[in-house]
Amino acid sequence: MSKEQEKSENVAAMEVEESEEAKQERLQQEATALAIADIKNNFVFLERAVDTIESRFTTRVLRTTTSIRKRLTPYILSQVINEYYADDTRKNDLLRYLGEQQDVAMKDTAADESKKEIPRLPEIDIYLHLLVMIYLLDNQKFEQGMELSKTTVQEVETLNRRTMDQLTAKAYFYYVRYHELTDKLAEIRPILLAAQRTATLRRDDDTQATLLNLLLRNYFHYNLYEQADKLVSKSTFPENASNNQAARYAYYLGRIRALQLDYTAAHTQLLQAIRKAPQNTATAGFQQTAYKFFIIVQLLMGEIPERSIFRQPVLRKALLPYLHITQAVRVGDLNKFQEGLAKYGANFKRDKTYTLILRLRHNVIKTGIRMISLSYSRISLRDICIKLHLDGEEDAEFIVAKSIKDGVIDAVLDHDGGYMRSKETADVYSTNEPQSAFHQRISFCLNLHNESIKAMRFPLNAHRKELDNVQEALERERELAQEIAEGDLDDDDDMGDF
Amino acid sequence: MTMSNLQQLSSIRDALKAELNNSQPNMSKCAQMLTQLKIGLTEIGAYIPQGEQVDQNALLLARDVLETGAYYSVRVKDIAAFERYISQLNTFYFDYALIIVSNTRSILPQSEQMYPLTGLNLLRLLSQNRLSEFHTALEVIDPEQLHNNPYIKQAVDLEQFLMEGSYNKVWRNRSKVKGEEFLVFYNILIDTIRHEIANCSEKAYDALPIQDAATLLFMKNMEEVLNFAQERNWRVNPAEQKIYFANTDDEVTEIPQEQIIKQTLAYARELERIV
Repeated sequence: MSKEQEKSENVAAMEVEESEEAKQERLQQEATALAIADIKNNFVFLERAVDTIESRFTTRVLRTTTSIRKRLTPYILSQVINEYYADDTRKNDLLRYLGEQQDVAMKDTAADESKKEIPRLPEIDIYLHLLVMIYLLDNQKFEQGMELSKTTVQEVETLNRRTMDQLTAKAYFYYVRYHELTDKLAEIRPILLAAQRTATLRRDDDTQATLLNLLLRNYFHYNLYEQADKLVSKSTFPENASNNQAARYAYYLGRIRALQLDYTAAHTQLLQAIRKAPQNTATAGFQQTAYKFFIIVQLLMGEIPERSIFRQPVLRKALLPYLHITQAVRVGDLNKFQEGLAKYGANFKRDKTYTLILRLRHNVIKTGIRMISLSYSRISLRDICIKLHLDGEEDAEFIVAKSIKDGVIDAVLDHDGGYMRSKETADVYSTNEPQSAFHQRISFCLNLHNESIKAMRFPLNAHRKELDNVQEALERERELAQEIAEGDLDDDDDMGDF
Repeated sequence: MTMSNLQQLSSIRDALKAELNNSQPNMSKCAQMLTQLKIGLTEIGAYIPQGEQVDQNALLLARDVLETGAYYSVRVKDIAAFERYISQLNTFYFDYALIIVSNTRSILPQSEQMYPLTGLNLLRLLSQNRLSEFHTALEVIDPEQLHNNPYIKQAVDLEQFLMEGSYNKVWRNRSKVKGEEFLVFYNILIDTIRHEIANCSEKAYDALPIQDAATLLFMKNMEEVLNFAQERNWRVNPAEQKIYFANTDDEVTEIPQEQIIKQTLAYARELERIV
């Protein structure tokens, strides 16, 4: 007995000793189990998505990717894969990418092999492929990832299922991402274009939208804006695309328009991109880039961006060079502008905003002229020259003449006297301007209302139940009516009998 | 077989180049040789190479011929043809230079004529006032070259002067222009500018002395100015020696009744739907 006691004490002691480590291990195990449970839970959603043909469930699954992504380990993945696939080559293929031996976990599943008779869904299959791809991406295994993404994309192409759409889009996304990281983007352009055609024919909105954006990104990578513009003009962006893709598309479109000097369109697109992007720190990169272009376009349109943009914590640091430029444009100081350009030139080149900013030079001059026109009713060309640091009176005369023609200022030049005379500024409220501004806002509100009504969801066939009920009620009523009628007759008959 | 073809074609090309470099080239002979070359190149498939089996020498020859063709078209002032050559050349300059086929070797080395021709093309776009295409074309160029390459910088500076309105700087730079081909477009550009200045003047001045108008428009004598004035329907007062611009400044703001009615009805309909 004493022996046994000793033994148990020993065990207890060991337990106490180990408890610190064990606790950690236990926590880790719990986390692993939780992750596995989460992934399996997603399988259920995917099955439901296929059953009900509702894209909503797939969206929900993909939304959890970010949280799952952080917890992915080869062990978790191999567990899930082992459990899901029956013993076949596909499983081995996937496990090979993870560097896990397939027979390690085989024993666990061998017992309940019989359970795996349920037909496998390609959706779940591709989902697992996606998870492995993400894992490889996060662990910098680009070569392997590229190989896997290639096979996945080939597979996805053969599957024409509407419930696959979102997964297909994701598969292509990672496919391109791997090629971008290994700097092979130009090679896959034909493949993407072909896939884009297929997606359009299948009316696969998600893949279509994703591929369009990927193609645009591809073109932008090599500064091939002409091709990008042609692609945009020859294709239509699906209306039902997800918000994130729409935001990206708007951003690319905004950049193309800005290059083509169509600043009004660029402004609308970039604003839309900024508004559609999720407003959290996860999208900081996108917000920063979009804002950079937005600010430049605003300046090119002759507007001054609001100071509050530069104060936002996410943007403040990234937008500092742009603040400098904005200030220079605001006061119309050419020297300050050149200074900023020299100081932050490298930044602008990296952001690919450099050529746009170069165009701002004449905006600086224009703002300067406008300021002068507002503050002086009459000023000699020589004074304009000095104020704006121009090279000569002749230059000034041409520049002012052009500003008048462009509608920047409302003034008249007197060549003999060598001066510029400003005209009275017209009252905005005597024009149709306020009317159209109001109209714009009202139609925006009305549109918002209509859109939100359209966005409401009604479960498929839910009204059937009610319809059945109504049918029943109607039937009962009819029966009742019949009974009453018959009853009446009966009554009559009865009466007659009497 | 292709080898001998290539040799034959390159000898024609050399002849063409020699003819063009002549002090008085025979243009019709050049045109003939160019056509011959183009047909030859199409036959060996150097224009539209298929897949990865591209013969580098054939591509180089094709590029060379296209470049010569581009210069030739400028010489004979066939701008549409120049545009075609450039768009064909762009494939050679950008796509073949960028695509790295399986191993890390780009197909074509950079052409010496690339930047002069790109600069020429930029100037063409400017002279035709196709600004959005000008800027798109500019984006493809390496930003380092924008300020360092004389051919590109020339076009970039010109655009800036045009946008600001420093037209006399454009005029003054004319003497600094390099290359005969550039001058062709420069002259077109000056003509474009002249009309641009005229547009500005109409808006900016009530009246302008003829003498001053001549300096503004870079014209040498009165006659030119008077002809130009007639072309643009300006009123010339010979007694005062002044040009009067017909200012159409009497805009009357009308109330857009129909539009307002339409909008209000639309509001009513939408509101009805909500309530």
